[in-house]
Amino acid sequence: MLTITDAAQKRITGLLADQERQGLALRIAIQGRGPGGFQYKLGFAREADKAPDDIVVDAEGFKVFIDPESAPNLTGATIDFVDGLYESGFRINNPNSIWSDPVAAAVQRVIDTHINPGIAAHGGFVTLLDVKENVAYIAMGGGCQGCGMANVTLKQGIEVLIQEAVPEIRQIVDTTDHAGGTNPFYQPAKGGESPLV
Amino acid sequence: MPRLLLLMTTTTYRANAFLEAARRLDVPVVVGSERAQALAAANPAGHLTLDFLAPEVALRQIVAFANEYPISAIIAADDEGVIPAAMASAALGLPYNPVEAVAAARNKYRMRQILAKAGLSSPVFTRISIDADPLDAASQLSFPCVVKPLALSASRGVIRADDPAQFVAAFRRIVAILRQREVAMAGAGLTRELLVERFIPGIEVALEGLLSNGRLQVLALFDKPDPLDGPFFEETIYVTPSRLPLSVQDAIATCTAKVATALGLREGPVHVELRVNAQGPWMLEIAPRSIGGLCSRTLRFGDGITLEELILRHALGLGVEGCERERQAAGVMMIPIPRAGILRDVSGQEEARRVAGIEDIRLTIPLGQELIPLPEGSKYLGFIFAREETPHGVEAALREAHRRLRFTIAPRQEASGEPTGFPTAASPADPLRLVAQRTDFAPTRTFPIRAGRSGG
Repeated sequence: MLTITDAAQKRITGLLADQERQGLALRIAIQGRGPGGFQYKLGFAREADKAPDDIVVDAEGFKVFIDPESAPNLTGATIDFVDGLYESGFRINNPNSIWSDPVAAAVQRVIDTHINPGIAAHGGFVTLLDVKENVAYIAMGGGCQGCGMANVTLKQGIEVLIQEAVPEIRQIVDTTDHAGGTNPFYQPAKGGESPLV
Repeated sequence: MPRLLLLMTTTTYRANAFLEAARRLDVPVVVGSERAQALAAANPAGHLTLDFLAPEVALRQIVAFANEYPISAIIAADDEGVIPAAMASAALGLPYNPVEAVAAARNKYRMRQILAKAGLSSPVFTRISIDADPLDAASQLSFPCVVKPLALSASRGVIRADDPAQFVAAFRRIVAILRQREVAMAGAGLTRELLVERFIPGIEVALEGLLSNGRLQVLALFDKPDPLDGPFFEETIYVTPSRLPLSVQDAIATCTAKVATALGLREGPVHVELRVNAQGPWMLEIAPRSIGGLCSRTLRFGDGITLEELILRHALGLGVEGCERERQAAGVMMIPIPRAGILRDVSGQEEARRVAGIEDIRLTIPLGQELIPLPEGSKYLGFIFAREETPHGVEAALREAHRRLRFTIAPRQEASGEPTGFPTAASPADPLRLVAQRTDFAPTRTFPIRAGRSGG
């Protein structure tokens, strides 16, 4: 079941009443897993953009397209709309565990309880992307992306913590595009400088 | 099982390369750096926080650590770690260079004194206090000369002066660098004086070597095909093998070995910069560490061993005899900083990568950050790596790849007020923007999700 609150229903219907959006459907997808849980993507889509295996939900006044990979993890989710002084936008309440695989869930627990709290002081975070054949694929973000010490954090910290807690994991692969980091915590420099100052 | 203590600053370019080498050798590593690592508390056997500027304190910390977690070898990835590494190695009975030799190599004036005493070719030199009157000092000098800090590396603060007026300008510019807080703090007492030495005309080369019980093994000799005649000395292209006649290469190796002996260096990597002219090789610098930046990626030995793995193998006593550099030519371009400003974009990277022989391009200053050219600058903009059949082919590939890169640099004053490093905020104009997740709202309408059909 997908639940849409009255507020969300009203907001979406209102947006679809706009001349440019008439006849469009709502598409919702899970595009990843982040420190706060699932990461979602909402967008409007034309009927022609519906894939043959998309799941279509009739939401009284508009349709919702859901790709088959996202659908199991959206069962029981609720789409709400909030409009307050401090925030305005859609919120999705999802009761599903972000990992059904117990090994992945165990790795996620290590990341949530030990790793991310530890690297938050450096403005960094780690996202578990997937676990396949006992290999954990992660991405480093924030201050860790492009950090000159990212590999130290990975090999001396993340790997140790994950493999101690989840011995089934035989390898951790960092998939981060470190060249794309815009604000790394430690930045390489030629000799003669100290970040102590 | 042997355990390796790897000393490196948190600003090192070398962390990945050394940790990867240790992984290949399956050696546990302790990372010693001047700041606590993010997850240090989770792995106390893998981290050590040391003050490189207080080597006596660092020594006590390392010895205490080694009592709990025995250490088999110590390697300093950067200049800052070589003195603590030497002191700790002596205390723990591990092979390394003597402390006095390392300290002399870290102090360009002291090094010049030792080389002069040993009768080895190096430029005529003097030192001048940063509190001296540069006009007075200029009257005592002969020109052209090169003015440089005693301890900075990678050409930072190195300026050629052809007359007294240029000397005064160079003096003031370098003193301003040395008075920068982070330089003064890190200078280990070597920021109160400048070295002034005769400019040596000629070509420049770099030698990468490994000392074993005082014997020098030349790992690579790099030509630097771009002229380095000043006023600043921004290094660009390194290509190996050298195209110099073998007799000149032998003279360079001999000069390096003599300098190492004169200083007392006996173990581990050395990175050496020399000038070569009709009089032969002239020693500019010798550092008891390996090549900086990401330049070591150009070097492969035996069946693909990296320079860092070679250094680790040597330090752990695993033997490196017979490890010859590959037959292919290789090279790197340290991408010159075109001008000061804020780096906005680097386009043409894919075109540059398509140049035959180009292996990789790595930018090491993030977009949105400031570019500071030499002599003040302390960061490499990036690196281009090439491998080809011949040194000429490598050099041509590096130049062509660089030609295809286009840098967009904004004036610094236009770039203020833009935060970086945060995820792009949802645009207020996005009608479907999401807010932070919460669970305290009441659903009112539910719709079944069924595959393959519309549901109501």
